[in-house]
Amino acid sequence: MFFPTSLSRGAGFGAVVGVALMLSVFTVIDFDGWWTVQTVTNVLHFASILGLIAMGQALVIMSKEIDLSVGSVYGLAGIAFITLQPGLGVPGAIVAALLISALIGFLQAMAVLKGALPSMIVTLGGLFTVRGIIYVWTGGSVRAFPEEARSHWITRMLGGEFLGLEASLFWLLVLLAILSVLLWRTKFGNHLLAAGGDLDSAKSQGVQTDRTKTIAFVICSLLAGFAGIVTLADRPQTHVTLGELLELEAIAAAVIGGCLLSGGRGSLLGAVLGALIVVSFRYELIALGAPSSWFMTFVGIVLIIAVIFNQKLARAAGHSL
Amino acid sequence: MNKQTPLIQIKNLDLHFGAFHALKNVSVDFHAGELVGLVGDNGAGKTTLIRVLCGIHTPSAGEVYFDGTRVKTFHPKLAIDQGIETIQQSVGLCDNLSIARNFYLGREPVKRFCGLPLLDFAKMREMSGRVIRQFGLRENVSVDDEVERLSGGERQSVKIGRAVEFKNRVVIMDEPTNHLSVREREHVNELALQLRDQGLLVIYITHDIFQVHRLADRIVIMENGEKIEDASTETMSAEALEEVIRQGGRIVEKRDAV
Repeated sequence: MFFPTSLSRGAGFGAVVGVALMLSVFTVIDFDGWWTVQTVTNVLHFASILGLIAMGQALVIMSKEIDLSVGSVYGLAGIAFITLQPGLGVPGAIVAALLISALIGFLQAMAVLKGALPSMIVTLGGLFTVRGIIYVWTGGSVRAFPEEARSHWITRMLGGEFLGLEASLFWLLVLLAILSVLLWRTKFGNHLLAAGGDLDSAKSQGVQTDRTKTIAFVICSLLAGFAGIVTLADRPQTHVTLGELLELEAIAAAVIGGCLLSGGRGSLLGAVLGALIVVSFRYELIALGAPSSWFMTFVGIVLIIAVIFNQKLARAAGHSL
Repeated sequence: MNKQTPLIQIKNLDLHFGAFHALKNVSVDFHAGELVGLVGDNGAGKTTLIRVLCGIHTPSAGEVYFDGTRVKTFHPKLAIDQGIETIQQSVGLCDNLSIARNFYLGREPVKRFCGLPLLDFAKMREMSGRVIRQFGLRENVSVDDEVERLSGGERQSVKIGRAVEFKNRVVIMDEPTNHLSVREREHVNELALQLRDQGLLVIYITHDIFQVHRLADRIVIMENGEKIEDASTETMSAEALEEVIRQGGRIVEKRDAV
């Protein structure tokens, strides 16, 4: 079973403790405000969106790279989805938006791996380039999603409720399960962890590390793009700043969830729980009446504590099968 | 073993890195069931030569034959598929992965589950567990432990065990006993002899002519990218070979001139 093993792996364990601690504190200081259907639903929805992006980021970080472009890719895919919908229809627009996302991931991976450039720089370039494309393409304003497209069954499957859950939460759980199997139970996963842990050793055993990392970048961009589509399927109005600074929240979520930037170690479940922590803090601070700008400070503090905690935990655990 | 058909035959090999002439007209044969010591100072070209055999470098000129067939494409994956395994001190095992995962890295066995090719952990655990016991790892080390927890000697044992288990034909050991304790060093050297006795070709790279002389059937000495000596350990003593290294091949030139 992949859930128990990934929990006991250490990397995800810190995030589980973090979530338990956070929920206890919120329950004590603000029981009535926190445990309402409205708050829980909203937190789960936005945590799911961020969780989707954070899982992709986690895969890239585990391969010892980083992707700063996910916020822009999220924005572009969402905006492509509603902008292309009149011409291509809902399914066509989704496919096109995902293809655009995958292409961006692929091009960045090529620049990083074939050009031997640091992924931090390449994807920082990607962040600006893709955001620029959004501005140029839309001319600064984005159309609203028309009613007939909103009521399309695919849109409702992505944005409404699905099998009694928020659709975003449903998709998060499905993709978490699939990606956890991919990471811990397949050759690809073993190669990804090896490439992130020790590139030369992985190569010496014939692992095609460039191919493995390229797949990680493409999955990361696809997840960011999918999260953008899910966001707009649910709340059909947006503007060109969609997803700005989201890359930093996604990286924070992955790191809080136990991904070490030194590569080779991490947890997808941890990244999702990290996303839950980041989003919960934002909601609770607003609910408590704190100025919204405090949110960034709190995320920063949680991030630093988490990194210290996870570093120690990763070494203490010492099991990886 | 038939000494007439070398397992690896290198003919007039040249390798340039830009203006740097790393290997100069090197010709050498390696046979199955032989332990060859490849000796030379830093920068002599030992590791460069080995990297050609591992498919990391493509030669600028010359020919390499493996089992009688000319090698046309050089790629690490091809070398591994041919059964050439390199054991280096610092490379080969990923610290963040378990012994079992490392053991099968790059050749993971899979089992179909609902049509999906998933890692066959039962097989990975069983095979790697058997091998690490056979190669003398501590009893309290489990195949699920991360490699980070192993000592230097245990790491080398895992790599050598892996080379044996996957029925490699050539094992190249690049300074395999650096930073090891005396007892661990002896253990690794015993394993090298075992591999040779099983009919593998073992190429043992080292600075230490005295250490390898005790093990090897033949010593090849390199200097400045050239092969300066290729002698049986039966016909040349370690002291004589050390003198060759010290003189930088001038002894050989004089001897050949006579």
